Amino acid sequence: MIRSLLVRNIWDENQVLRQILGICSLLAVTNLVRNSLVMGLGLIFAVGLSSLTISYLRNYIPHRIRMIVQTLIIAAWVILFDLIIKAHLPEISRALGPYVGLIITNCIIMGRAEAFAQKNPPLASLLDGIFAGLGYMLVLVIIAVIRETMGFGTILGFNVNFLGLETWTIMVMPPAAFFLIGVLIWIVNIIMARQAAAGGGERG
Amino acid sequence: MNESVRMVVVLAIIAMVSAGILAQVYEVTSEVIEENAARALESSVYEVLPGSTAVNIVRVSPHDLVVDEPKEMREKEERTTLIYEGVDGEQIIGYAFVGEGNGYGGTVRVLVGVDQKTDQILNVKILDHAETPGLGSRIEEDGFRDQFKGKSVQDPLQLGEDIDSISGATVSSRAVSEAVRSGFDQASAAYKGGN
Repeated sequence: MIRSLLVRNIWDENQVLRQILGICSLLAVTNLVRNSLVMGLGLIFAVGLSSLTISYLRNYIPHRIRMIVQTLIIAAWVILFDLIIKAHLPEISRALGPYVGLIITNCIIMGRAEAFAQKNPPLASLLDGIFAGLGYMLVLVIIAVIRETMGFGTILGFNVNFLGLETWTIMVMPPAAFFLIGVLIWIVNIIMARQAAAGGGERG
Repeated sequence: MNESVRMVVVLAIIAMVSAGILAQVYEVTSEVIEENAARALESSVYEVLPGSTAVNIVRVSPHDLVVDEPKEMREKEERTTLIYEGVDGEQIIGYAFVGEGNGYGGTVRVLVGVDQKTDQILNVKILDHAETPGLGSRIEEDGFRDQFKGKSVQDPLQLGEDIDSISGATVSSRAVSEAVRSGFDQASAAYKGGN
């Protein structure tokens, strides 16, 4: 079960590449690998624990107010994360600025709560949330590695521009993430289509 | 139980529990966060006033304000300029003050350290900003900030005149020179009108 959850969340139904969720934060933080890593960790923490909490409470929450309750729980966990990094990792908290608070509005969390945690047991929901966050972080880091290398000639702050090539300012700006994510989705779609045609995938 | 009553009760309980937990965590972390901020500002003062071993906070408020009402008290608080005095034993190394400028992503706050004897800038440090990471945020780099060293209140401190902007980050660069200028003006005004 763990394996199928992992594969589904990272590849088959990757939140960013397949569901096109979480794009706003992707545009904002992916010009540096470090910020992308922390943002990804924040999301893993927030989705995992929100899904866990929502799954525990799923039988007590009246159906009609479930979304208000989900938002409330998500907001509580995100504020908790924000307070903790503000207190213990002030440098990174400064670098991420308002984006941590904006995790609350990240559609991925709400999506996992509605699509999975609402109808599955707590442990599975926790794993589903963590894997969904991992899938998001993976895409963020791929984009960030390309943008940081081309925009600054560095990776995680270390110089990798050995040839002394000109760096591209556009890669630092949010639109670059749009181009890159478009190309990445394109590539993944081609691979998926090939897999389906080969009869390997159950779905198209 | 009636369906709508149940909704209200469940929502109220969940809201109370999460508020309670957050209040508890806030209680614990707020102290650390404030301490961090205070320590960051103090260590920034040491950075812009090299050689200092202690920092005194000087509050300069305009004399023309008579304070006998809470409203005036607030106004006085707003118009009070905080000046940080870096000392080494008996000797005053210099003064540091905060200045603000409008950047691309919000307010840019800088701390300016000025030598007590020569009235020249010893160093400028960016306290906080919300500029584009990797582009506007390069105002934090030494190469840009070092341009302010040795400048005094008589210098224009203008982009294009005595300060070169970072290519691709003109607005952020201007915010810093503006912030240094406004900090200077405020601090000198406070000194003239104050003590």
